[in-house]
Amino acid sequence: MTPLLVSVLGIVAVLGLYLATISGRHTQQPADFVDAGLALPPWVIIFAGAGITLASLNLPDHLLLLSTFGLQYNQVAVGLICVALCAAITQKRVWLAARLTSLRTLGDLLGDYFGSTTLRIYMLFVLFLFSIPFAAMCLSQVGALVSAATVNDVPAGLAIWSIAFVLFLCSVIGGWRGIAYLVAAQSLLVLALMIFFGGFTGFTLDKLAFAANGIGTASGVLPDKIPGVIQFSAGIGKELPAGGLWTTFAGLTFALSLGGIAISPGFSFLGVTSAPRRGLAFSQVWMIAGLAAGALILIGPVLAAEIAASGSLTAFTTRLATLDPMVAVGFTVLLVASGQIAVAFFAGSGASVCTIELTSRYIIPGMDQRSARFATRVTLALVYGAVAAVASYAPLSATIFSSLTLSLSMQLLPAVLGLCWVRWISRSGVLAGLIVGSLCVVFTESFGLVLFERLFVDLPWGRWPLSVHSAGWGLVTNFSACLLVSLFTRSGAERDRRDRLHDAFEESQPARNGSQAAITAKWTLTLLWAFFALGPGAILGNTFFSEPIFAGAVVAPGVPSLLIWQVLFWFVGVVIVWWLAYQGHLSVIDERPRHRIVLVPDVNPLFEPVTTPWIARLLDRVTGR
Amino acid sequence: MTPLGKNEALDRHALVMACWLAAAMPAAILFEYGFGRGGSPYILAGFAAILAGFVAHVIVNVVYGTGFSPRELGLGLVIYGLALVLFVVLSLVSASFAAHNFLPLSIGFITTGAVVVFYLITRYGARQAFEAFDVIRDFRSDDRDSKRSPGDHR
Repeated sequence: MTPLLVSVLGIVAVLGLYLATISGRHTQQPADFVDAGLALPPWVIIFAGAGITLASLNLPDHLLLLSTFGLQYNQVAVGLICVALCAAITQKRVWLAARLTSLRTLGDLLGDYFGSTTLRIYMLFVLFLFSIPFAAMCLSQVGALVSAATVNDVPAGLAIWSIAFVLFLCSVIGGWRGIAYLVAAQSLLVLALMIFFGGFTGFTLDKLAFAANGIGTASGVLPDKIPGVIQFSAGIGKELPAGGLWTTFAGLTFALSLGGIAISPGFSFLGVTSAPRRGLAFSQVWMIAGLAAGALILIGPVLAAEIAASGSLTAFTTRLATLDPMVAVGFTVLLVASGQIAVAFFAGSGASVCTIELTSRYIIPGMDQRSARFATRVTLALVYGAVAAVASYAPLSATIFSSLTLSLSMQLLPAVLGLCWVRWISRSGVLAGLIVGSLCVVFTESFGLVLFERLFVDLPWGRWPLSVHSAGWGLVTNFSACLLVSLFTRSGAERDRRDRLHDAFEESQPARNGSQAAITAKWTLTLLWAFFALGPGAILGNTFFSEPIFAGAVVAPGVPSLLIWQVLFWFVGVVIVWWLAYQGHLSVIDERPRHRIVLVPDVNPLFEPVTTPWIARLLDRVTGR
Repeated sequence: MTPLGKNEALDRHALVMACWLAAAMPAAILFEYGFGRGGSPYILAGFAAILAGFVAHVIVNVVYGTGFSPRELGLGLVIYGLALVLFVVLSLVSASFAAHNFLPLSIGFITTGAVVVFYLITRYGARQAFEAFDVIRDFRSDDRDSKRSPGDHR
């Protein structure tokens, strides 16, 4: 199988290099290397959006967790609709704000809108988490997959460095456009293979494990039921919830953390650099909520049951190889390609955003286009070197750091909502929320717990206490602090600047909410959907179709009641996202904005030092004594 | 049909490559499995995957308002021709290959050809579709051009 797998991966690599070369040769200006001339075609965002979402979920991990926890973990696949919702609410406005202000990244937009250097630093930190630890985790997993599939003929280290080198070559030749093409092409491949393997295993395997016995989870884990609304357990590492980890609150809060993909610096950069009209809406409704979530909800359990029956992912791949080596190669390519999407996208977008937000703003201000291209290439080399080194030598550290990534990214939600919709959310509110929320995330994730317990004393809680994901803890405290502080500081000195952007929104593309009844209906329906699909109402799905309340009898629908519930709410979720994105015009861009606004005069803090107010106050207290 | 700009042509080409990558991988798995344990249904499914790639290519053409480029046509014909020659040679050389795979491969090749002809006729009409491949007529017109003296604009 080794020569076949290497050949197929080689063909995919050659295609990537070809796409990179043609896009590199067609680059019209050196600056296009960094941002593709803000003219990526709609199909890139359509396919790449779904692929990045699947890759961020980490497909091999998702299948393994599904085989460990059964259908209770399938709630996470329903949670992909949260990514689509989050993208529908924010992506168009971020695109519009970027066109109105001529800024190119979310970090620059938030920094200028709130006038906060702290926010810029936070965005760069989140960018760093995505670009290095998160990408390294995906790359180390890809290396392990290739090594296992070739029975160590290709060691994990060799696979990691080879794949990193090829992806680096594609990025450094093709620039942002080349990366986007590569990611979109591989996303389409992943989606096609995912659907293909759903059908293929159904036809070729003698007896589907899912149809025969369901997902064979370990003893004590409910394979086809959600283990309660919430469990008052201390958290992973201290006390495991009975019946499995994935209560409705765990599912809901994990789904919220997935929203962090949509507002991550890389994903928003992809949106800003594209030239879509209906591309955003199509991507959110049909690709992310429709195809990606649907494929995971329907095909994930089938594959997971086979993995559970085989014992491990490697054993399942070996079983596929007994059918035909090419089948096993195809399955390995599916998993490897999903990892490559994450590495290429987060490393590539990280380098571009870093050049725009850090290098050309602070380190070498006033760089010309050629220098910017060179700086991006140097950054790409550094990022890929770091990613490959961390993936090879410190995969555990990468996993621990990357567990923070989505949750910390999601803590930006109040700031992004402020930028897009809520003009009275103030800088002080956002910063207070960010500090409190991030602390909650860090101390409910393994990174903070391990660090604190090694340095000081044992904490009484573990990871995800009360079966609530760290993103949930962070968001609750973040929103509380943000709203409370914003209430008192909503009309501060920087209000003018915020109003300027929101007035420009209203002038160029006013929100078309319809009548008051329509607005109420839209958001009520969305909240109801969230309550029943992911929230406490999802517990009804355990027995709703197998023990109907009014029938008073037990019926056998053929598949677990929970799966029918999940499929039903996936359909409803797609309709809701469609309603918001198309009918509510949240993601349809009618025309490009005709005028430009300036949020703040361009100031370089290195030459004209501006001290952030809270740092200035702190310094004043210390030096004043 | 308006000619595409530089970026649009590049976007279209990359999209076409992406579509064919996504179709070719499942097709390769299906053919490989079909020639081995799977048998006829999987070989036919492999052809279906290739036709899905062709349909995706046609959709891309419609979206971008273009047709197949001469290079794409050439590459398609060469691959189809080579596959056909390989199929004939293998059928002649290996009796077991012919016994197991002749029928599904014949059906697959004929269907693929029929779908392409159907596309050409619906896209260009019967006359234009035939003229595109009318080599003899091209030779004649070349011959006529060479007999015509320079400056003769009749």
